[in-house]
Amino acid sequence: MKIARREGTLITYALGSCVGITFYDPMIKLGALVHILLPEAGDNAAGNIFKFADTGIKETLRKLEVFGGVKSRYQCKIAGGAKMFEMSAGIGNIGERNVKMVEKVLAEEHIRVMAKDVGANYARTMLLDVTTGTVKVRTSGRNETIL
Amino acid sequence: MKITRYEDVDNICKDMMKEIGSIGTGNAATALSSMLQTEVRMEVPKVELLGFTEAVDHVGDPEDTVCCVLVQMEEGINGMMLFLLKLDFINEILRRTLGKEIQDYSELGELELSAVTEVGNIIISSFVLSMSSLVGVQINLSVPAVAINMLGGILSVPMAEIGHISDKIFMIMGKCSIGGQNMESNVLMVPDIESLNFLMDRLVRPYE
Repeated sequence: MKIARREGTLITYALGSCVGITFYDPMIKLGALVHILLPEAGDNAAGNIFKFADTGIKETLRKLEVFGGVKSRYQCKIAGGAKMFEMSAGIGNIGERNVKMVEKVLAEEHIRVMAKDVGANYARTMLLDVTTGTVKVRTSGRNETIL
Repeated sequence: MKITRYEDVDNICKDMMKEIGSIGTGNAATALSSMLQTEVRMEVPKVELLGFTEAVDHVGDPEDTVCCVLVQMEEGINGMMLFLLKLDFINEILRRTLGKEIQDYSELGELELSAVTEVGNIIISSFVLSMSSLVGVQINLSVPAVAINMLGGILSVPMAEIGHISDKIFMIMGKCSIGGQNMESNVLMVPDIESLNFLMDRLVRPYE
């Protein structure tokens, strides 16, 4: 999870089944980018809390509030959640589960997702320009798009 | 000592993985050599327990495009095997099987991709077969899946698989040379914790 104010670009490289979530408060030019790997922390989760959609988003929102962010002003965008391999077994669907969980947690927090680029079978690099609030998505072999 | 998290892995366990890795890649080299009808040499692989970013850094830039063949292991040992290869390796395979070369990943058609997948499958299967006879247990393998995409995105798949219990994965890094040409290849073995303990029970603990 990364936070920046006024200037700079926050980047997370090559999101596969992971989901990147950006929050931007245009009034004070405060931006955050969190990169989650799995939907739920559960009871026996080890390590970094930003790895999970539920705990990661909540902790990011808490941090943003400390920096003076106001929830009702956040522009939230999400990218990632791809299915990298076509597999018969269950593992391939982790991307989809991640996206569903992220959307659920955001809905519970009353944050609307302004734009998203999720699913399909390719990885995405996500960039948030903190000066302007522009979110860009870069993919292998395709043009950079603005979310 | 029973292993409960990847972070608990000690040097003895790493040595065991190194041994499995070197027997596995040795067998894989033999299989590859007979398929490509040429000499294949393999260095003794390095085995390391790496965090996500470190694992990506060992292979290249997270945005680099790579080709990856993935097979799932079930029954005796559960987990995943991945074989990562880049353009130079792909061209070596294509030159020897189909008599052609490509400049870019986008030129990989159905036939080319199938050849690459098959080579990946052979490498993984012979690796797993040698491990299976070493520990005396049956391991079932899934049909291979293939992806060509950003390295970071591909490695997020095994990381997500074990993400609940660990932030680290085992990486077996080998250099091989095909017909005198050096190239890098990376095999990732991602056993679950139970299987890792099972391997320790079979190969290490009786002799301690």
